[in-house]
Amino acid sequence: MPAQASTVALILRLLRLTWGYKDQVLRIVVLQMVLLALALSGLGLIGLGLDVIGQAIGESGKPPRWPLGFEPPAGWSAMTKVLVIAGAVFAVAALRFVLDRQSWVWKAVLVRDIVVDLRKQVYDKMQRLSFRFFDANESGSIINRVTGDVQAVRRFIDGVMIEVVMLLISLAFFLAYMLSIHVKLTLACLATTPLLWVLTTLFSRTVRPAYRVNRELFDKAVLVLSENAQGVHVVKGFALQERERAKFKRANDAVADQHRWIFWRVATFVPTIGMFTAVNLLVLLVYGGWLYIHDPGFAFGSGLFVFAGLLQQFSSQVGNLAQIANAVQRSMTGAQRVFEVLDEPVEIQGPPGAAAVRLGRAEGRVTFEDVTFGYGGADGADALRGVSFEAQPGQTVAILGATGSGKSTLLSLIPRFYDPQQGRVLIDGVDLRDYDLDDLRRNVGVVFQETFLFSNTVRFNVTFGHPEATDDQMRQAAQIAQAHGFIERELDAGYDTVLTEGGNGLSGGQRQRLAIARAVLLDPPILLMDDPTAAIDPETEHLIMQAMDQAMRNRTTFIVAHRFSTLKRADVVMVMEDGRVTEVGTHDELMQTSAHYRNAAEVQMADEESRRLLGIGEDAE
Amino acid sequence: MKTRPNNPPILTHVDKSDREAKQRPLSLGVIRRLWGYTGPHARKRNWLVVLVLLRAVQLPAMAWCLAAVLNGPVLAQDWRGILWGASGFFALALSTAVVFHFRMRLALELGEAVVQDLRREVFDHLQRMSMSFYDKTKLGRIISRITSDAEAVRMGVQSVVFVSMVQVGSMLVAAAVMLWYDPPLFLVVLLMAPVLWRLSKYFRDRLSVTYRATQESYSRVTATLAESINGIRVTQGFVRQDVNAELFGGLVEDHAEYHLKSARLQAVFLPIIELNSQFFMALLLALGGVQVLRMEFFAGWAGGSEAELFAALVVFALLMPQFFNPIANIGRQYNDALTAMAGAERVFGLLDTEPEQMDGPDAAPLPPITGRVELDGVTFGYDPAKPVLHGISFVAEPGRTIALVGQTGSGKTSIISLIAKFYLPTAGRVLIDGHDTRGVTTDSLAKQIGIVLQSNYLFTGSVMDNIRVGRPDATDDEVIAAAEALGCLDIFERLQDGLLTDVGEKGGSLSLGQRQLVCFCRAMLADPRVLILDEATSAVDTMTEQRVQEALAKLLSGRTSFVVAHRLSTIRHADEVLVLDAGRIIERGTHHALLEQGGRYAHLYRQFIHASEA
Repeated sequence: MPAQASTVALILRLLRLTWGYKDQVLRIVVLQMVLLALALSGLGLIGLGLDVIGQAIGESGKPPRWPLGFEPPAGWSAMTKVLVIAGAVFAVAALRFVLDRQSWVWKAVLVRDIVVDLRKQVYDKMQRLSFRFFDANESGSIINRVTGDVQAVRRFIDGVMIEVVMLLISLAFFLAYMLSIHVKLTLACLATTPLLWVLTTLFSRTVRPAYRVNRELFDKAVLVLSENAQGVHVVKGFALQERERAKFKRANDAVADQHRWIFWRVATFVPTIGMFTAVNLLVLLVYGGWLYIHDPGFAFGSGLFVFAGLLQQFSSQVGNLAQIANAVQRSMTGAQRVFEVLDEPVEIQGPPGAAAVRLGRAEGRVTFEDVTFGYGGADGADALRGVSFEAQPGQTVAILGATGSGKSTLLSLIPRFYDPQQGRVLIDGVDLRDYDLDDLRRNVGVVFQETFLFSNTVRFNVTFGHPEATDDQMRQAAQIAQAHGFIERELDAGYDTVLTEGGNGLSGGQRQRLAIARAVLLDPPILLMDDPTAAIDPETEHLIMQAMDQAMRNRTTFIVAHRFSTLKRADVVMVMEDGRVTEVGTHDELMQTSAHYRNAAEVQMADEESRRLLGIGEDAE
Repeated sequence: MKTRPNNPPILTHVDKSDREAKQRPLSLGVIRRLWGYTGPHARKRNWLVVLVLLRAVQLPAMAWCLAAVLNGPVLAQDWRGILWGASGFFALALSTAVVFHFRMRLALELGEAVVQDLRREVFDHLQRMSMSFYDKTKLGRIISRITSDAEAVRMGVQSVVFVSMVQVGSMLVAAAVMLWYDPPLFLVVLLMAPVLWRLSKYFRDRLSVTYRATQESYSRVTATLAESINGIRVTQGFVRQDVNAELFGGLVEDHAEYHLKSARLQAVFLPIIELNSQFFMALLLALGGVQVLRMEFFAGWAGGSEAELFAALVVFALLMPQFFNPIANIGRQYNDALTAMAGAERVFGLLDTEPEQMDGPDAAPLPPITGRVELDGVTFGYDPAKPVLHGISFVAEPGRTIALVGQTGSGKTSIISLIAKFYLPTAGRVLIDGHDTRGVTTDSLAKQIGIVLQSNYLFTGSVMDNIRVGRPDATDDEVIAAAEALGCLDIFERLQDGLLTDVGEKGGSLSLGQRQLVCFCRAMLADPRVLILDEATSAVDTMTEQRVQEALAKLLSGRTSFVVAHRLSTIRHADEVLVLDAGRIIERGTHHALLEQGGRYAHLYRQFIHASEA
């Protein structure tokens, strides 16, 4: 997906983003420059101090070089000079401490501002994206965009932008200082620097991919373990332990072998880099020593000693360069993923402002006109092909069909979770695309196939769609959904019980009833129920049935169902196959006219003999 | 930890019991045990110790060498001496680099070796753990034993011990050199050390408090985020975007504030450490200057000439980093050590969890069976104090199909788990062809019993691979034959790549019905005498249900089968129905007889019919 061509565009965009924080960035850079100047003067002062002492005791015959044309008053003794210099070193250090602290705080504030801004933006955008986006991206990857990737973008500003500017400035400072001491010595000492740079680049090019490979190998080993834990009945049931053990050992050894390769390189690279610093010092010793003997202007403290200090800082700065290069790469990948979310078009939107048709309370007539829709997968197959029907207000429409025949897809078009490619869906005779989107969705209550409850109180979950609902409204909804009873009786804190991820021991049926209560609370004129009994034991199913019966009253209801009890009760049954509605009618009609329908029904129904033994007649209800 | 008075409103409650300690205090027992793991790699470890000691001398030696050359030949303007000194320095640097290479490589390899051993041991141990362990333990926990915990241990082995040794060593050597050059000056250095140590400890403690609060606020952010994404359909369906965005914004700001707070602490601490050497140089200059320039006062007890004192000053300036840097470094290592302790403790905790002994000491392999299964007065509880089965007895003759019927929690699943020997009964016996399952090896039993559970677990790999799980040495033809025998070969062949179709993670690219058929084929291939089946509730849609039913009938025929039944047709065709209630068999007989009896079964069956047809 990431195209090389867009790298420039990406950097430009990141720069634009940085520009938004330019005042903060600028004040940090200025402060850092002051800090740098202070650090260098601290080092210079120490060298000067050594020279003053050296000269006073006749150890080094050369006069100290005072900075900025400053000449100490003739009356000062060597001791006074040393003490003044020591005081200056101390003062510089103290000042650095104060300023350094400030720059840390400023950086942290900058980081906070960027991260908070971006996270809010990404989250807000993400909430509005259409379902297609969530179908196409794993939830883990989306989570990462708000957490890790946002940090990566932030790092571009405080880790790359600021660092690069500072690096360039400080290298320039160091270089200038060194050159001011002695030009040739500087060049000689830095002769190895280009080589160091090449080596570092080479290293990160070979080792970083190797680490990536290693992570992948390790993921495979973890997968073996996780599959063994999850499929433990299969492993134990078929006595596969030996085979699995061998599999894990293989995966593990692959990780170890590859690691050995990496270790060898790391353990060679790091000492080599250390060697470069040593070589630089060596050059300084020999050439600097020669200069000290032959060049009268080259002092011990402010010459040799200071130079050694500068050299060490210089090489550590060059080392930073490699780190920054890494940070650039990482933040680019992260930035790309963040921008992907921010740029993702919001596919499903109501018409802008006044153009939208407002919808108070719909009557509840739902019409499909020759609707064709596909998820746009690789195979290009259409999930719905030319579906047309009309449901009258208050009717119950049951939909039956095999997995993948298009039942859930059909439902998801009604609240406009997706838009059809061809044809139109209408409510009360108006195309859905003309309605204000929020109005439309408030008119459609949905009970999803997989019950999703938030880890929060029962109250929070039931009133999710209408947080201002009164307690009475909430209880009433729960009663309709046959949930009030177990909430009051079985949950410790009633409506204030906090549901945890594991579900607090709520059964599938109880969770499902909470979901129905959540939908009913809104009293929507249109209700969609996607196979609400799929995950429920037959024993508890009749409770849900009662809940559904209550919920469906006075609404246009669409229900995906397999149980013939539901189908019987519906006003219309639609049988779907391969994206088409193949049969429409009441249960009784379909039993008469469709062999297919009758066959399916018979698998579920009790045989005649059992009925007779139980005394259930055809008209037992 | 004080909670902030006004915690922001939330979308998601975070379960605190879910978190594991990040750090644990040092424990001698754990350290000794961890050290034991280096035993098999003793050669590496011993060499490493030698190299570490060498390096502890080399690091200060290099600084000293530099100082010595500067003080000696350079100040004396002795060109020949400079060259000699420089070559000495070069030789020392080279040897340091070589030692460093091996020190680093061996440490990394040793860490890897220990971690590999631990991982393998954990995996083997997990294989021996009983089902009850897996019931109680979350998957994430198990995985973190070989991932984050093992990594923490790796850091402990490869760096904490050896890096600390280098640091302490070079600190001591540097101290000795300084002491030798100038005791009074060194005394000042020495006085600074505890101050620095206290300071670093003070900030580290305060930081770790803020850090914990930051972590907590962060876990609120991520938990909310995860639920927002997983529940996005609900959110959009109920038009809650704005409310959620506001809640999330509050959480993000809250987290950022904590973050800023810890940054403010660091903003004091890090500059202090960094600038310490500067402060110290100022002190040295002042003191050294006074000492050198007023020889007359000090000469008495400091000894040495002015030149020697000046040399000492240079040596001190260069050796100081060797003395002070370890203080900050060791603090960091200490932190890593605590993390390693937490990791190691958890890994060892897992290894110390005794697997429930499933096979008796003289368990023998189970000879080929005909498939007679008997439960004789079986009582069982996952927690022995709370039995879920009470005195269950019944006999299943070879080839018969037994349906288990009852409410959720009545004990159906427990019975089949006992027959499969996933658990052992608390009292009573489970007999297969007259052999008590306690007395036979679990493996030999498993090979003759097939199980198909509700969860329909598929491994990553192809359909073919997954069927072959039933009998790993089966040929392709045998796999195909098994699918054919169940009459579902055509369904698999219609998949994108036929039998070689990748099933995806947890079988995600197959429909539920197809997944169930794969599991049936697995059992068919294993061709066991006894088959155990936990029927999925209504996992399969009506239209594929017929195919599944047909396959099921073929699979069951000719085997002793136990079916936890949800489908009317399965129950109806069973040879015997056992009706369970609260861990007891309350009715037994054929479907027909039980209906006539008009008891609980008739009631239950009526409910089934109600649910499925009205």
